[in-house]
Amino acid sequence: MSLLDRKLLRDLAALKSQALAVALVMACGLAMMIMTRSLILSLETTRDTYYEHHRFAQVFARLKRAPNAVRDQLAAIPGVATVETGIAMQVTLDLPGLDLPAVGLLNSLPERGEAVLNRVYLRSGRLPLSPSTQYELAAGEAFAEAHGLKPGDPISAVLNGTKQTFRLSGIVLSPEFVFEAPPNSALPDNKTYGVFWMPYKELATAFQLYGAFNNVALTLAPGASEGDVIADADRLLAPYGGRGAYGRANHPSHRRLDDEIRVLTGLSIAFPLVFLSVAAFMTNSVMSRQVALQREQIAMLKACGFSNAQVGMHYFKFSFVIVLVGVGFGAIGGIFLGHQLVGLYHIFFRFPQLDFLLDSRVLVTASVVSSFAAFAGVAGAVRRAVRLPPAEAMRPEAPARYRPALLERLGATRWFSASFRMSLRNIERRPIRSALTCLALALATSILVVPSSFRDGVAYIIDFQWDVVQRQTVTLTLVEPGPARGVADFGHLPGVILAEPFRYVPVELRAGPVTRRLLLQGLPARGTLSRVIDAHPRQLTLPPRGIIISAKLATVLQVRPGDEVVAKVLEGEERELRVPVAGLAEDFTGIAAYMELPALNRLLLEGDRINGAHLTVAAGSWPEFLAAVKTTPRLAGCMIKNSVREGFRQTTAASVSLLQKIYMFFATVVAFGIIYNSARISLSERSRELATLRVLGFSRGEVGAVLVGELVLLTLLALPLGLVLGSFFASGIIRTLNTETVRLPLVLTAANYAFAVSVVAIASALSALFAARKLAAIDLVSALKALD
Amino acid sequence: MFHVRGLARIYGEGTAAVTALAGVDFDLFRSELVVLLGASGSGKSTLLNQLGGLDSPTHGTLLYHGADLARFDEPALTRFRRDAVGFVFQAYNLIPSLTARENVALITEICRAPMAPAEALQLVGLGDRMDHFPAQLSGGEQQRVAIARAIAKRPEVLLCDEPTGALDVRTGITVLEAIERINRELGTLAVIITHNAILADMADRVFTLSDGRIVNERINARRGSVRDLAW
Repeated sequence: MSLLDRKLLRDLAALKSQALAVALVMACGLAMMIMTRSLILSLETTRDTYYEHHRFAQVFARLKRAPNAVRDQLAAIPGVATVETGIAMQVTLDLPGLDLPAVGLLNSLPERGEAVLNRVYLRSGRLPLSPSTQYELAAGEAFAEAHGLKPGDPISAVLNGTKQTFRLSGIVLSPEFVFEAPPNSALPDNKTYGVFWMPYKELATAFQLYGAFNNVALTLAPGASEGDVIADADRLLAPYGGRGAYGRANHPSHRRLDDEIRVLTGLSIAFPLVFLSVAAFMTNSVMSRQVALQREQIAMLKACGFSNAQVGMHYFKFSFVIVLVGVGFGAIGGIFLGHQLVGLYHIFFRFPQLDFLLDSRVLVTASVVSSFAAFAGVAGAVRRAVRLPPAEAMRPEAPARYRPALLERLGATRWFSASFRMSLRNIERRPIRSALTCLALALATSILVVPSSFRDGVAYIIDFQWDVVQRQTVTLTLVEPGPARGVADFGHLPGVILAEPFRYVPVELRAGPVTRRLLLQGLPARGTLSRVIDAHPRQLTLPPRGIIISAKLATVLQVRPGDEVVAKVLEGEERELRVPVAGLAEDFTGIAAYMELPALNRLLLEGDRINGAHLTVAAGSWPEFLAAVKTTPRLAGCMIKNSVREGFRQTTAASVSLLQKIYMFFATVVAFGIIYNSARISLSERSRELATLRVLGFSRGEVGAVLVGELVLLTLLALPLGLVLGSFFASGIIRTLNTETVRLPLVLTAANYAFAVSVVAIASALSALFAARKLAAIDLVSALKALD
Repeated sequence: MFHVRGLARIYGEGTAAVTALAGVDFDLFRSELVVLLGASGSGKSTLLNQLGGLDSPTHGTLLYHGADLARFDEPALTRFRRDAVGFVFQAYNLIPSLTARENVALITEICRAPMAPAEALQLVGLGDRMDHFPAQLSGGEQQRVAIARAIAKRPEVLLCDEPTGALDVRTGITVLEAIERINRELGTLAVIITHNAILADMADRVFTLSDGRIVNERINARRGSVRDLAW
């Protein structure tokens, strides 16, 4: 080891707490970067392997009924490589011990051999057998886990009006249901919605569909155009009640997974960027201080024949060591957290196996990025060191020019003590350094604001979605659209206080080149149970003409109120309608479009038809209500609001809360690091001056007041700035997390600000305490002699 | 070795210009011990910086073995300082985080044909204090480490800026003895700047500076020994 390197190590040892503070801040940023990038790699790799091995299809279509012969016509469409047809039917489940009605999607397994596409993965047990004494089915893992079902357990379902009891033969997974959520729901609800597989023959027979299919999956030949195949398939399936084919991009499970990856991508950039900038800034302040202290040493080295490059490299190595430690800690932290979080994804995404894969490229990127951050931070200081002419450096720095502070010049002196005046002058004397310290404190404050805004955003969603928008107790959905007088039937169920009908129609909305498939919801113009709310948030009245769409959907379609969109109805007879956008609704999960119910009925050229109703049920009659619902025929689903809300709390909210805790921990580390560092630098820069004051007869308390006073003044300046900066960061980061399936509103609460302010205040107080203790330990005589 | 004619150094411009050196002429030769005398502000430090390649002249000629130092670029000046010049500073300028031996070795690592750090420290009488940190050494000892550091590279010229300025008489003597011994035994040109006229007796030649000019040159027929100086 060269002696210059030995000097480096010893200087670093003397600076260890400050260097460690910088390295930790860097490590926090890198840990997040490594964690998120590795999670992305894990999800993508696992997804791609799973899709490939289990032959996930590329184009999907649902229809009413087509004879099996149509299958050959589908295979003949130019660009289609493989075709899989089958049956998928939604049924009501009856689970022993579950007082809520649950809904199951029954999928058929081919009569002979293994499926060509969307092959299931057997987790336990075996696949259901066709000719057996008892009907068998296999259940999706998420539902089975939520209900503690094991192979061999009984399960009842109402198939086409007849209740049948099945035996669970096994637990399976499917690439089609990596995200196992009810149709058109952005959130999983594994208690009341499950996916099942049973042999084609039994399923088809139960629904009088034997020899026919209602579900299609296709793969494309290399080079084939997805759009053309979809158009051809739609044309072919239209006479059979086709509801519009769609590609993977519109596949609910696939899109949810994609969105998650997009969120992670946003997080992998936004947060680390803030942290690494802070680290660069801290490296700069440590190194500037170091260079200033080592003026004479730099001059000596140059006088003795060390070149600028050697001197520059020496100081760059300082930051390099810090980067090395930061990358080390960051990698350990990132890998550890990644391992923890990968388990969390099991709640949302069901893969045969989801292992944490370390993205080794990100380690390299992380090293490069943080080296760059540190070098950028150090560059200025090193340039100053190198530029210092040796003869110049040998002289001590010229004394700073003092003058009365602005407040003093304004005549406010008499209210200030001598030490307060000194603090003021110190701040004014070195405006840039004061501004930088102030900025550091502001950054510390700002990064504390971001994680809390996540938590508050989620809390807001919970209140908004289930108290402001959805005020029903339960939503009942019919198997098929039925006459509106059904609402009256619902109203007669025990305990029902209020019933409001709705009509859901699958449509494809198009504006220019952009299309989106969703359910167009027909609701009463100004309902009391399921309401349409704008950004203010005020209830919107649905106009007799036109639709109201999610603000997010408007952004995606690039339309504004007043513009027209084309709505292609994907149910029954295919029709295209031009409808004006009448307003924008605020919502946070999925994308939606709303229309006045009678207007929708008119548009569909149908009578008063509904898909179901939202109901308020008296709490006292709840058991009777549920019992009645379980026996109500033609019911496809029963969504209990509180159970969905609970599901959200336990899944999305829980994962956001975990992320928030991790980020908050990091942010607190960083805030302490910044403030401690600032206090350290300010103390060591001023030890000589402060010792002089002590020699001149100032008491320890008075001298401490000068130093602490300065820190307090700067903190007071920094806090409002930090809160503004933090709100800005939060808004930027939340914007990157804004996807079509889940959005987080920007919610900034007084409690959030108060927390940030208190952490900074506590960190400042502790740092001041530390500085005061160090101050007490200053050896007056040597402090006056020493050059540092 | 050095050939200096009309050397001037002016800091600043226009009305704010300060003339530190106003045209000096002299030559310096191998094995000489030269003392530059002068009050504070007389220009002696500026002159020493010029000789050591730490600063470049505004006007005039400064030849080292016939090469014009003023025309040296930064890498050439670095090489010149690395190989030819040993500096001794008034404030020692040791690296506080390195021991005495390491402070010397720091420099021997980068130059050609240096002596061993231990040998250099022995020459200045610090053979038994080699592994002490600067903070554990007295002022005189620190200055002798600085001298060991300067001579370990076997420089052609040893430039000493007030080497005893911060020391008491007795310590000052040990430091000056070390410089004289190097000059005598290694044939190094030694240039000492000081405001202390007593040191003049130990020199071969003495230049007196005032207001940036050489106002007197004195040649000692016989050099006095450091111990005999009339303190």
